[in-house]
Order: sequence, then structure tokens, then C-alpha cells
Amino acid sequence: MESGGKGREEEQDGISVHSPCKAPPSSASSLPKEHPQIELELKLLQALEIYPLVKLQGIHRHFVLFGLMEFLRRSFDRQFSSDEVLQLLDRFYNLEMLKPDDEEMEILNHEEDFCLPQTFFVKEES
Amino acid sequence: MAVPALFRTGQSATRAHEEVGEPPIWLLLLLSPTDDAATDGDMSSGDSPPSNTSLYSEGEKVLAYHGPRIYEAKVQKVELRKKEFRYFLHYLGWNKNWDEWVSVDRLMKCTDENRLKQRALEKGYVEKSSKSGRSAQAKPKNLNDARVEKEDHKNNVVAAPKGKKRKNDSGTKDNQSVEKVIKIQIPSTLRKQLVDDWEFVTQQDKLVKLPRSPTVDDILTKYLEYRSKRDGTITDSLGEVLKGIRCYFDKALPVLLLYNKERDQYHKLVVDDVSPSTVYGAEHLLRLFVKLPELLAYVNIEDETQIRLHQKLLDFLKFLQKNQSTFFVSAYEGCKGTEGKGKSKND
Repeated sequence: MESGGKGREEEQDGISVHSPCKAPPSSASSLPKEHPQIELELKLLQALEIYPLVKLQGIHRHFVLFGLMEFLRRSFDRQFSSDEVLQLLDRFYNLEMLKPDDEEMEILNHEEDFCLPQTFFVKEES
Repeated sequence: MAVPALFRTGQSATRAHEEVGEPPIWLLLLLSPTDDAATDGDMSSGDSPPSNTSLYSEGEKVLAYHGPRIYEAKVQKVELRKKEFRYFLHYLGWNKNWDEWVSVDRLMKCTDENRLKQRALEKGYVEKSSKSGRSAQAKPKNLNDARVEKEDHKNNVVAAPKGKKRKNDSGTKDNQSVEKVIKIQIPSTLRKQLVDDWEFVTQQDKLVKLPRSPTVDDILTKYLEYRSKRDGTITDSLGEVLKGIRCYFDKALPVLLLYNKERDQYHKLVVDDVSPSTVYGAEHLLRLFVKLPELLAYVNIEDETQIRLHQKLLDFLKFLQKNQSTFFVSAYEGCKGTEGKGKSKND
């Protein structure tokens, strides 16, 4: 993969949400300098294999973001704010263009009455 | 009847296959260990097992019962203890944290007949689970990064029905669930709260008086305040989790969290852009926690992160429990406008 820089249109095949070439804000980046940008980006892309981008737009987005934050936290041994992570993502992708996953509509498509599982009605030992 | 987890916690693992449910008689007959001493030549000595010779040898591949199923395993060590042979097994394709000492009655030779038994158990249990064996949830997971992704074990793993909760055991090994579903253990007083809730609405035709105070929104905010006082700081990660809960609540309330009798009330009150988290309170929030494992099952989350998430959710539940008397109503309102003052349980 090409390292960070401008002019990325060719890099990300098949990803329609790829944002047009954007110059990263120079000193406006709030990302700490102790890790080279490239490392952060690489880790982020690794993380995206587990936490797919597409889920960042649906109802699960906070938990997906949480997953990304935790992944980075473990990789670099420091806290990442949600803003930082979104900023990192923003360098690659235009998140507003994401359409929610179809799968996520499944669980919410079928209205059903709440049902308290049987186990609640049984006295548990200890 | 739900399918038991692969590793039944809190029970003796030996002969566990007999304790689980009611396999048909023919299956029981098929499953009774046969003496295959004469067939395969892997034995260290002799055909019949005299008392001082082990039936299985180190390095031998065997079939072993574990819980209700049979797995391929390798004998790592053999020891004679109190006149009985004990075998330290490693289950092939599984993390070595599952390795264990077993006695001879758990083992079988790797013969075709025994493999048939293995299949039979597979089939029997795959049918009982709510999804077929190849559910996307059936990926076995373990805590040590080495993801077990062998095809045959995907099929062997019992996928727990989504949303099924089990008691969490304190032993580390028992927490290595092969289920993908996060188990959320709801404290007992809150479980009772849910039963009361069910009773009020479904049996007594009563409703929670809306809008509530505190609302779901209020409660989540209070929790964040409570945590920041306690920890001196709030992490963004907790913030995201709470936002996630609110988001789920708003979307899931009308779809998953209402009893039928509450729908009219919902349609009257939650109109236009009103979000449920500003109308409903702890009673319905608690119901979300019953559904949370199901919802989270749609998100692939790493093991370590799942554990942290679970901790956060548990801590939140404890907060609810701590504030149970102020967050939850003690009495619901009768449909005909009669207020139920004080305890309205039928005594």
C-alpha cells in the first residue's frame, strides 16, 4: 500500500466512499506525534478488517467505533478518543457516504412483542 | 429446550454426555463405549487392557467425549494414579487452554464406528440448536489470539441460540466460550424487577406511567457523572458504549422491547421525532439488556474487547441495581385510569 500522502484515488479499489483527494490538515491534526502517521494508518486499516467501515453508519456504529478505539488503544498502549479515530478514518473515507448495512435492517425489520425468557422465572441456585 | 454450551460449566465433565437432555435410546446404545482394543494397532501393548498397561499411549490420536460431544484429541501424557490410568488430552484444533486430564472412560479409539458416533452426536445437536450448524455465529473463539478456524470445528461447535444467557463462572477457562454471543449477567434483584414488570403488564393489565422520570437519557447521564466522580475521569470509550446503548434503545424500543399491551400507549406518546429515550425509563431500559446480546451478535467484536465491553455493561447494571428504588416505579398504572398506589402485586 502506498504510504500516506495526497492523491489517493487509485489506492482503494471498489470502495465507493473513498473521499476525493484531500490534503490532510497540516498542523491542525490533533494526532500525537509520537507515532508516525503511517503506523497509525496501518493499524487502523488492520482494525477495519475486524470492524468493517460499513457498520459505522448503522445502529451498531458506537460499538464498532468502540471496537476500533480499543484496538488502537491496545496497539499503541494509550487512549484514543473517538474524535481521533474518526479523524484518522476521515483521511481515507468519506463516512457520510456510507450506507447502512442491509444485515442490520434484519433485526429491526420484524416487530415482535417483548418476551421475558423462561430462565428469569426460575429461581437460580446462587 | 436450548442446546447446552459446549463446555457445561459447573458440572463434572466426565459422563456429562449422559446428563444433558434426553438422547433417544438408539443413540444411547450407539454411544456406549465399545472396547475397540482389537481393531487399531496403536496400542502400546497387547489387545486387552490388563490393569497395568495403558489402553492409549502418548502421542496417540483418540476420540474423546467432552460434554455432549465427541472430539478428536491427542494424548499428551499418560499417568497411573491410584491404580487408574489418566490421560492428558489436547483437543485437536482447539486452544491448549482446553487441555485436560481425563480418565479412560472418556476415550475411544479412532475407528470408523466411533467416528459414526461422533457424527451422530453432531447431527443430534445441530438439529436442536436454533440455527443450523453453519451459522455465522458458530465460529469458535478463545482468549489467546490463536483463533481456531478449522472447518471441521466450525461444524462441531454448538451455536447457542442468540440471546441465551448463562451464568458466568469465575474460572478463566469457563469464560472461554465458544459462543459468539456476549453473555450479560443481570443481577438478581433486577431479574426480579423484570418478572414484576412482566406481571404488571401482562397479568395485571397495567402500564408504566409515561413519561418517566428519570428517563433513559437521564439515567445514562447520571451514570456518566457517577463514573467520572468515581474515577476522576471519563474515558471516551465508556461514552461510546453509552451512546451505543441509547442508540439501540431508541431503535429497538418499538420493535423489540414492548409488550403488546403497551403499543397503544407508545403510539400515542412517541410521535414525530420524539426519541424513546426521552420518554421511557429504567423499566424499558432493563428490557434492552435482555435483548442486548442478540443485538451485539451482529457486530463482530474481538474477544478482549468483548470482555471489556461486558465489564462496562455489568458495571452499569450494578449502578441500576444500586439505584433501583429511585429509578424504577414500584407500581404501574391500571388501564382504566385507576392509579395503583403502593404495592400492587397480588398477595
